Amino acid sequence: MTAIHAKKPGETLFGFLVLTFSLFLFWQSYEISGFTALSSPGAFPLAASGIMVFASCINLLKDIRRPAEVGGFEVFWSKVLPPIVSIMIAIIFTFGIILDTLGFIISALLFLIISIQFLHQKGLVRSVLLSLLSLIVIYIVFRLVFSVILPEGIIPEREIMAWIGSLLN
Amino acid sequence: MEALNYFATSWTSLDLLALTALGTFLGVYIGAIPGLSVTMAVSILISFTFSWDVNNALCLMVGIFMGGVYGGSRTAILLNIPGAPSAIATALDGYPMALKGEAGEAIGLSTVMSVIGGFVGIIVLALAAPVVSEFALKFQPRDYLMLGILGIMLVGSLSGNNLTKGVFAGAFGMLIGTVGLDPLTAEERFTFGVVELWNGINPIAVMIGLFGVSEALTQLHYMNKAAIKQKIDRIIPRWADVKKYLPLSLQTSSIGVIVGALPGTGGDIAALLAYDHAKRVTKNPEVPFGQGAKEGLIAPEAANNAAVGGAYIPMLTLGIPGDAVTAVFLGALFIHGLNPGPLLLTENPQMFWFTVGNLALANIFVLIFGLTGIKLFSKIVECPKGILIPLILLLSVVGAYAINNSIADIWWMLGFGVIGYFMKQYDYQVGPVILGVILSRLMDENWRRSIISERESLPDFFINLLSSPLSLVLFISILLIFISQTPIWARAKAMVFK
Amino acid sequence: MGVVMNKRLICALAALSIIAAPAFAEFPKKDIQGVIQWGAGGSTDTVMRSVTPHAEKELGVDIVMTNRTGGVGAIATKFVYAKKADGYTLLMGAENPQMYKTLGLANLDYGDFTPINILARGIPIFVANNDAPFNNMKEFTEYAKANPGMVKVGSTGPGGLTSIVLAMLDSQVKLDLTNIPYNGDGPALTALQSGALDVMPAVLGAAIEHVKAGRMKVIGLVDVKTNDLLPGVSPITEDFPGFSSFLPWGPFFGVFVKNDTPKAAVDKLVAAYHTAAQNPDFIDLMNKRGFSIMNVAGPEAEKFLNTYRSVSSWIVHDAGFSKKSPEEFGIPRP
Repeated sequence: MTAIHAKKPGETLFGFLVLTFSLFLFWQSYEISGFTALSSPGAFPLAASGIMVFASCINLLKDIRRPAEVGGFEVFWSKVLPPIVSIMIAIIFTFGIILDTLGFIISALLFLIISIQFLHQKGLVRSVLLSLLSLIVIYIVFRLVFSVILPEGIIPEREIMAWIGSLLN
Repeated sequence: MEALNYFATSWTSLDLLALTALGTFLGVYIGAIPGLSVTMAVSILISFTFSWDVNNALCLMVGIFMGGVYGGSRTAILLNIPGAPSAIATALDGYPMALKGEAGEAIGLSTVMSVIGGFVGIIVLALAAPVVSEFALKFQPRDYLMLGILGIMLVGSLSGNNLTKGVFAGAFGMLIGTVGLDPLTAEERFTFGVVELWNGINPIAVMIGLFGVSEALTQLHYMNKAAIKQKIDRIIPRWADVKKYLPLSLQTSSIGVIVGALPGTGGDIAALLAYDHAKRVTKNPEVPFGQGAKEGLIAPEAANNAAVGGAYIPMLTLGIPGDAVTAVFLGALFIHGLNPGPLLLTENPQMFWFTVGNLALANIFVLIFGLTGIKLFSKIVECPKGILIPLILLLSVVGAYAINNSIADIWWMLGFGVIGYFMKQYDYQVGPVILGVILSRLMDENWRRSIISERESLPDFFINLLSSPLSLVLFISILLIFISQTPIWARAKAMVFK
Repeated sequence: MGVVMNKRLICALAALSIIAAPAFAEFPKKDIQGVIQWGAGGSTDTVMRSVTPHAEKELGVDIVMTNRTGGVGAIATKFVYAKKADGYTLLMGAENPQMYKTLGLANLDYGDFTPINILARGIPIFVANNDAPFNNMKEFTEYAKANPGMVKVGSTGPGGLTSIVLAMLDSQVKLDLTNIPYNGDGPALTALQSGALDVMPAVLGAAIEHVKAGRMKVIGLVDVKTNDLLPGVSPITEDFPGFSSFLPWGPFFGVFVKNDTPKAAVDKLVAAYHTAAQNPDFIDLMNKRGFSIMNVAGPEAEKFLNTYRSVSSWIVHDAGFSKKSPEEFGIPRP
């Protein structure tokens, strides 16, 4: 529809990965129940992954024909995946990993302090205060009001609450 | 007269009035926070309100339901994270409006249209409940399949300027929806022996990842761009605007009521079908769809709130839940000693008009709470990105965990966040993925049920399809939409009008 | 609020250093977590949420209930099993785990848990579309024999109530039925009213209100004696005496803790739930819904659980849709 624009670095590779992934899923769909019956559990996945394979083939062909953006693959690290994005992805994945062992309160606090400090860059004290404030609000809303039991980790939250409760009585 | 008396019950008692208000207020926030769902909140309230009088408990829950369905639009517009699946379509044009500094206007307009939609649902419930519920019961598996196909054709409109990439994304979504133990035969599909995958990949985790996280990551590209200044002088929409969009919101509200009343579908599918409808009937939008068209905001908002009244129709008349929330309501009625079922209204005739009145009251509170505090909310978008992005990410993590108290959902959410980020980089729209996820089950299950009923015979399937009036109408609409969307039609039209 | 919470945090940090090793002298010392196997609004959810508030009163602490759905309840079962056996995590479930081993779904069943209370049992019945040309089990089986493949029966997946009841019927009379799968008896009963299904085995509680309203008819009662809620319906053993070897049988709801939980905690919980299940409100609720109250714990509960497992596992195995033989797990034939 619009004029053909240059493809981004890595676009063909991405298209190729998508096709491989689709072929893998098509094979997995076949493994569910083969082509046994129209009503088999594998029928719908076969149809969906078939469409994926077909569409990703066309996409790949189209992408190959489009001219590449000048600058080669180096541009990938500045335009598609600049350092700021990859660092944030790394931070949030680390958060996910430590969440279960350290518990929500500690890991979320660390996550907020580090990422706000990294992105906002207005001084450590400010980052810590902002993080504490946000965490308290989130904790009240989720844990106390809606009783979502967030991973407790190394802080025995329920014991602490029972203890506070007994103090109040 | 008696009906009017019951209708007014919750309006005249101070307790009930206050509880409805409180419920609606809470509901708006529950709806707005992804991961907190109305279903969850209402089921927590069941044990919380256990010892209460049934009317008090119901007022609180009805408020939460009404407010919650509306609240989903808040975060959809402001942060591109739909608070619930029924607000996905809202994000498509609502968020672009916020990016242009029109968040206040978008929230105001969506509030008014939600309330209008809500009232359409309530009026249909009050006047035509028995008729609509009998009609809804007529839907056979093949008709649900047709509805699913109608919905999936929206891929055409959601694909941006690259249809094949959109088709890929839609099919990918449908495949994601099939992961897990097959609900019909318990066969494992794409589980690779992992028990955590048995229950499939939660659509809300996918949604939070694809919308919230991928958008937050994309925003990192524009860190040095100043936050968008929000215009907040006009919040209550102009009367001329309301009048202009009223026909559209009434049309999509009717879609909402019917889809809401069907026992197999709810507000999420209603909103998507409504968006599709708006896109087809709006010939010349002021702003193109997907870039902040008001029509694209109004249609799903009116429809998903109309679906609330719709969902009550089979619940009150037949004891059949119209969606997941009304299923929990049935449980609540049961615990409070009422016998929910087709005899509910014979045994407790006051229930019907009480509920209608209470819904109407909650809807008015939606208007009040919806239009207040918009300025404060719009400020969220003005908050520096360096603070906003970490908060969105944290909220996404907590929200994903809250769905089912499971760490695995966090990983799915993050995984889809990263996939969504790369998809956006390479011109794949993420909308079709979530569309596929939502419609996958509906299509898969009903396709198989209908073909099993015909004992695996395709010819019989089509004979029955063409001989049932309802199926035939749905089938013809699919054909018409398909033809009108494909290039063949455009070419034919060009030839005729040359 | 912020100030209050900061105080709380300080208290919390102080508490960290004070809290000693947990002692079981006065169980429960903190809130208890209840894990429900099925989703919000389902019958397990409803039963648990209606009985637990009474138990909370007895125990003096909150029981925070969460729904952990998935894998026909296996996810919740495994979750509770992975927790400490300290009585602070309760499994609130239905009958499904008793079939996990035979169906190859998990290596756990209620044998790995201590029953706190088996609250109630459901009674299976056969319901049919009002327009179906048969009114009792005899007419139904004759019609199905004369019209092979024409009768559409709702099913809720292998190992579900419908599959087991149909397997019981199959052991008595061979029928060619078309099984149309639904995910749950709610949607299937809706489909029965819309005419997409002709017959459906269901638990009495799920269908009773629709039956009372005349929206569907009962054609069989899978029990050994008549039921007050269903006047004029004779028990299935009258037409098929062979059924009596399986009955009484029915899905149940129970609260469990992991094996090896300290006796003091188990006793306290058993006592609390025993009193809770005697609450007149709860009893009234269950009766209205057609569930038989059981309210048993200890050896009596274990005996019921074992019988259920034997009957269901073997009937499924004999019908040919088990993944593993019950013999492998030492499950005796009933």
